[in-house]
Amino acid sequence: MRDPVRHTVFQWGLFRGAFLAILGVAAGISASSPAAAQARDRLTLCQTLEPPILDPTAGAAAAIREVTYDNIFEGLVAFDRDGRIVPRLAERHEVSADGLTWRFFLRRDARFHDGAPFTAADVKFSFERALAPDSKNTQKWIFEPIAAIATPAPDRVEITLKRYTADFLEGLAWGDAVILSEASAARAATEPVGTGPYRFGRWMRGDRLVLERNPAWWGGTPPIREAILRFISDPQAQVAALLAGDCDAHTNIGAQEAVAQLRADPRLVVAIGRTEGETIVAMNNARPPLDDLRVRRAIAMAIDRNLVNEGAISGFGTPIGSHFSPNHPAYLDLTKETPFDPRAAKALLAEAGHPNGFTLALRLPPPAYARRGGEIVAAMLKEIGITARIEPMEWPQWLERVFRNKDYDLTIVAHVEPMDLNIYAREDYYFGYSSPAVKTALAAAKSARSEAERKAAFEAAQRQIAKDQVNVFLFMLPKITVARKGLEGLWPHSPIPAAPIRDLRWN
Amino acid sequence: MMRALRHPSFLVGAVLSALIVALALVSLVWTPADPGRMNILARLRPPSAEFWLGTDQFGRDIASMLMVGARNALTVGLVAVGIGLVLGLALGLLAARADGTILDAAIMRLLDFVFAFPIVLSAILIVTLLGPGLVEAVVAIGLFNVPVFARLARGAALQVMRRDYIRAARLAGAGPARILLRHVVPNIAGLMIVQASVQFAVAILAEASLSYLGLGTQPPAPSWGRMLSDAQTFMARQPFLAIFPGAAIALAVLAFNLLGDGLRDLLDPRLRERGA
Repeated sequence: MRDPVRHTVFQWGLFRGAFLAILGVAAGISASSPAAAQARDRLTLCQTLEPPILDPTAGAAAAIREVTYDNIFEGLVAFDRDGRIVPRLAERHEVSADGLTWRFFLRRDARFHDGAPFTAADVKFSFERALAPDSKNTQKWIFEPIAAIATPAPDRVEITLKRYTADFLEGLAWGDAVILSEASAARAATEPVGTGPYRFGRWMRGDRLVLERNPAWWGGTPPIREAILRFISDPQAQVAALLAGDCDAHTNIGAQEAVAQLRADPRLVVAIGRTEGETIVAMNNARPPLDDLRVRRAIAMAIDRNLVNEGAISGFGTPIGSHFSPNHPAYLDLTKETPFDPRAAKALLAEAGHPNGFTLALRLPPPAYARRGGEIVAAMLKEIGITARIEPMEWPQWLERVFRNKDYDLTIVAHVEPMDLNIYAREDYYFGYSSPAVKTALAAAKSARSEAERKAAFEAAQRQIAKDQVNVFLFMLPKITVARKGLEGLWPHSPIPAAPIRDLRWN
Repeated sequence: MMRALRHPSFLVGAVLSALIVALALVSLVWTPADPGRMNILARLRPPSAEFWLGTDQFGRDIASMLMVGARNALTVGLVAVGIGLVLGLALGLLAARADGTILDAAIMRLLDFVFAFPIVLSAILIVTLLGPGLVEAVVAIGLFNVPVFARLARGAALQVMRRDYIRAARLAGAGPARILLRHVVPNIAGLMIVQASVQFAVAILAEASLSYLGLGTQPPAPSWGRMLSDAQTFMARQPFLAIFPGAAIALAVLAFNLLGDGLRDLLDPRLRERGA
């Protein structure tokens, strides 16, 4: 099966010869051949999922952010590659002593891709749009504390909060808080117009999306002129595309088992990093028999997360015991809280009135961690008498049935947003979980005046969530970046779902 | 009987098919290991005394999975061909009985329409509508077997119905149902059996293809096609993972095709006359 690869390399060699010849005749003409992908200002970046739309303020899919974040759209602030908050459209900001008034000083040299200047009115429009009753924004908590937005000058925005909110600035760095212009917002789903270093070129659905460098960007001229984003969801196809040179890089491959094979290839560089993706076996807490804590605990005790990690993603994950990232200073290691103990799990099931077990639906989205993890989890649950009926689904189906309509018993999914603990305080969330203790703790974290206070609140929430065994917490998803040698600047970790092209260059 | 033993493709086909059937039957009572039991720490092992054909990505015993997979493949073949044979025969005879009428034309054009699409493509369409699963896949494959048998049955039945003894039976007062069942069906049975054997191979391949695409047998039930697709990303590390299920599919398809070829030669009266 190596033959096709060699064949392609050979063809490519011929191509390069031809290309150099053409170059000699007509320098500067760009050709869409594989050789052209080697040009120093072009790049084919492969990602796993194609975004359903391109407006990050109107959809939950992480793929939207992976295309648009810090490429097409920018917020007042942003997360950098290390997860730190850095200035973007606001050069700087001031906050009043009581933490209720935020003053943002905006860039005066930023322009939208359609030529319109960026002003305070755009900030006001974007945030009010997110706050509106008909808003499609999936992270309304970011904007909820806002009492009023004033624009004393075209380059100044003053936001007054209803109450002190510790993570207000952090929220503004999310992809959901980017700035759109009023003129273009309605069409952002298919023709996004932002202020970022790259503007939307064209989108051939099912195949590729082209981003072009924005010559008028306030931040200068990034090295890559044109980026072709290709979407390859099948793990085997990802590996094949990398080996064949069809992708200059893949931001996170799904075939963890191919790492050794890819590492052995001298043309490629493999980097193993972290994501913020808490991978969990989500349980429908509202549905019997999963509404019984003993049953949820029994399920958790029947699952050996280290073996799931090993079998599903070749052991590249970091085990977790609650819904919290080890990358965060407030992380508590709760992996020992619910030990792997099938015998005790069986006893607990009997105590809950299910000595002979029962049958549950295990609905699995496409990624290998879910499909493979699902098979392992089903086998482990079988040991304690629970039959988990595996039902594989595509993403749109999963989002509709499991995530939106809460029509599931068990599922496996990675929650990739940073600091997403607040989903455990959401009554309408698909976990079907409601806990006054968690709500209190998370409210305390939001109103915390000091880092220590905030840390204590997060720790309390982590403990409560682990104690209530809301879900089975497996591991943090790794980020396995594979790139052609010479390509630099890829984010090694994923503090948020994003793939900023401005940082990339050929060496 | 001797003729059968001297017919090479029939002999090879019969022996291979019998072997697969035997393995499937044995798997009902015994497999080297529990095919569903995972041993993740012992995954991707090469063949050894402990694991005859090695272990898969979850440390399951491949030999046991292939045996249960054979059962799965044969069941699919039997049921899918059964659906096709029964419905196809019924529709074919009905069309033959109604020869030349609008009913005949309607049945045959409908079947032509179904027949126009390749079997896997049609099965994908049906499975997309019904949802993935073994039962859905079997129904889909079975339905698209119907035109194959129906056309064959109609053609053969028309030939038989022109014969003198059918006319004699009709004059003797036999009703159409009696004529079809007592005189026509036994005369075209050989032809149908040969076709069934070939369609059996097609059905096994179709199920493997559907399972490969994730539309057929669902985990954890072992299926050759899914074993093959699961093996893809592990192939560089453990080629056996793909080789064994691939070989199983190829062997089974070969076996039933050879069997069908052999049966055709042995059962076809014209060939028999020529040989005699």
